[in-house]
Amino acid sequence: MNKKLVATAAVAALAVVGLAGCSSSGGGNASGGKTTVTYSDFISAGGNEKNLQAIVDSFEKANPDITIKVTTTAYADYFTKLQTDLAAGTQSDVFDVDAGSYATYQSQGVLAPLDGVTASAYRTSVLDTYKTGGKQYGLPTSFSNVVLFYNKDLFDKAGVSYPTKDWTWADEQAAAEKLTDKSKGIWGDYQPVTYNEYYKAVVQAGGQFLSDDGKKAAFNDAAGKKAADWIAGKSGTVMPTAADGAGTADFDTNLFKAGKLAMWHTGIWMFSTLGQLPFGWDVQVEPGDTQQASATFSNAVVVSKDAKDKTAAQKWAEYLTSSKEMVDVRLKAGWELPAVSDESLLQPYLTAGTPANRQAVFDSLEKVANAPQLGANSQKIQDDVTNALGEIAAGRQKTATAIPATAEQVDSLLK
Amino acid sequence: MRSPLGKTVFYVVVIAGAIAMLFPFVWTVVTSISPGASLTTTPKLIPENPSFGPYLELFSRVPFARVIVNSLVIAVASTILQLVTSAMAAYVFARMPFRGRGAIFLLYLATMMIPFQVLIVPLFVEMKALGLINTYAGAILPTIASAFGVFLLRQAMSTVPLELDQAATIDGAGHFRVFFQIVLPLVRPALATLAVFGFLNTWNSFLWPLIILRDPLMQTLPVALSSLQGQYSTQWDVLMAGSVISILPMFALYVFAQKYIVQGVAGTGLK
Repeated sequence: MNKKLVATAAVAALAVVGLAGCSSSGGGNASGGKTTVTYSDFISAGGNEKNLQAIVDSFEKANPDITIKVTTTAYADYFTKLQTDLAAGTQSDVFDVDAGSYATYQSQGVLAPLDGVTASAYRTSVLDTYKTGGKQYGLPTSFSNVVLFYNKDLFDKAGVSYPTKDWTWADEQAAAEKLTDKSKGIWGDYQPVTYNEYYKAVVQAGGQFLSDDGKKAAFNDAAGKKAADWIAGKSGTVMPTAADGAGTADFDTNLFKAGKLAMWHTGIWMFSTLGQLPFGWDVQVEPGDTQQASATFSNAVVVSKDAKDKTAAQKWAEYLTSSKEMVDVRLKAGWELPAVSDESLLQPYLTAGTPANRQAVFDSLEKVANAPQLGANSQKIQDDVTNALGEIAAGRQKTATAIPATAEQVDSLLK
Repeated sequence: MRSPLGKTVFYVVVIAGAIAMLFPFVWTVVTSISPGASLTTTPKLIPENPSFGPYLELFSRVPFARVIVNSLVIAVASTILQLVTSAMAAYVFARMPFRGRGAIFLLYLATMMIPFQVLIVPLFVEMKALGLINTYAGAILPTIASAFGVFLLRQAMSTVPLELDQAATIDGAGHFRVFFQIVLPLVRPALATLAVFGFLNTWNSFLWPLIILRDPLMQTLPVALSSLQGQYSTQWDVLMAGSVISILPMFALYVFAQKYIVQGVAGTGLK
């Protein structure tokens, strides 16, 4: 017994010494004329690691003097790690951000401005999301957005003409009323009664969710109330109510798939989920009120202000966001769409079949509604707005009182 | 023991409890052999096309063998070191009276209240200064002093009659001898408990390995598993295959040490 314990202790002691000895020497940067650019990403986590590697390989082939070292972290943990790295100064030369986190990092001053970017290579609205004070700080790697899906068969049967890209709310409302046939369980329209739809609808009605300085709620006006009526008003007339199951997981997807939903506001990521259905379906730019504004989500890469070789880092950032090789890899793999402007590169996507009008995805980028920066209480604000809309939809509250009250709540949460 | 009715009720409740406990595991295993499974639909307990495809894909997606070795090295080394430091500290707190002992022990326990999230950045900066980022040592060192372990073992050692020590001392044994030959063998259940808890904690530990281990080849199991999740979607079949594999060592250890764990935890309340 005694010997055994002593031996264990000795092994443990040796282990400590041994482990302390094998600390790595840290990243050497330029060796033998070769530059190493480190890149931390979340975009490839969960299945696209090999596709990212393919882009890295073709970049290294084109730039034999630069090596890219990729570290992939799942989106859910990525920002925890990034914060720690930024605090310790161990962040990568190039790293991913998303539209929601970009402003935070930009204002912390940890990003290097990117000079001489070929702006014409990108979709302007997505590129501008990562521009602050006239300077470009990030380049968009991909985007997705929300469009209007519609069931062609139901339109044909009701004798209503298909949506066009110039439709307004009034057109959508008129069509939805004609298409709804409650006796057959067919609903004309479906748009989630949530904050995410609301901030966009406010812009579509000509207003904005937050004031220009981002410090106050700006939706307590005619546009904000009109938007609330638009989002909450469909429920029960042309759209199933929460009591019918609306808002539960996959309710809308299943309704559309079953051929019982004529129009549906949802994201282009549903294309592959829906695929071929027993009826014809297509998509169109989402209708606006005084103007169009489509919800757009995007990811981007930025260059750290501490990057050792900023030129090489930016070269990689540009390659990753605008090269033909990248577009080919993404389209072939069905990975999210790149925000490039060159339509000829996007041909394989535009002609990929159902839905036929994939051009609407790109047309939607002409006028976008970016998600407001809500700060630390973001989740609480979103919940409050969603709750208020739910109360209006259920008829328990009136827009005229619920919206000013919600605006007040949001004001206090923004402080 | 009881009326037949009472017995029936007892078994119904116990069986219901067992089903509630087992269901997530069954679902995990079933999902891991159903390629293309998603968790948003109602679970099917009998897979339609069972196959080990998700397991194969798992091995192609992450350097799984290496990741398991990393996890094992870190968990085993950390557990052994925790046992050594905790047992020695516990012996001092249980057997060597000195001024301020109670206060120091309380202070020690108080460190259990500090959430690890608060410590991450300073700890990471410290590890960077020591040059231990992306090393096993960096992952292990912060875990080896365990306030919980000291507490558990001190409670266990307090129950060992002091007379045994005194007898040994009269026979000429010093502290080391008393520690190794008298006290340690008598607190074996507590040591086994601490070994299981220590192993479990390090094996499942996520945040610290995520931050300190940079290279995919250095990652531990939970971190590698989390990298299977995407920003918008997750391949649950592959993730569950990884989860099943990550449960196995814990399962084996628990089956092996079950007897001691129950004894050890029950014993902490005694004086």
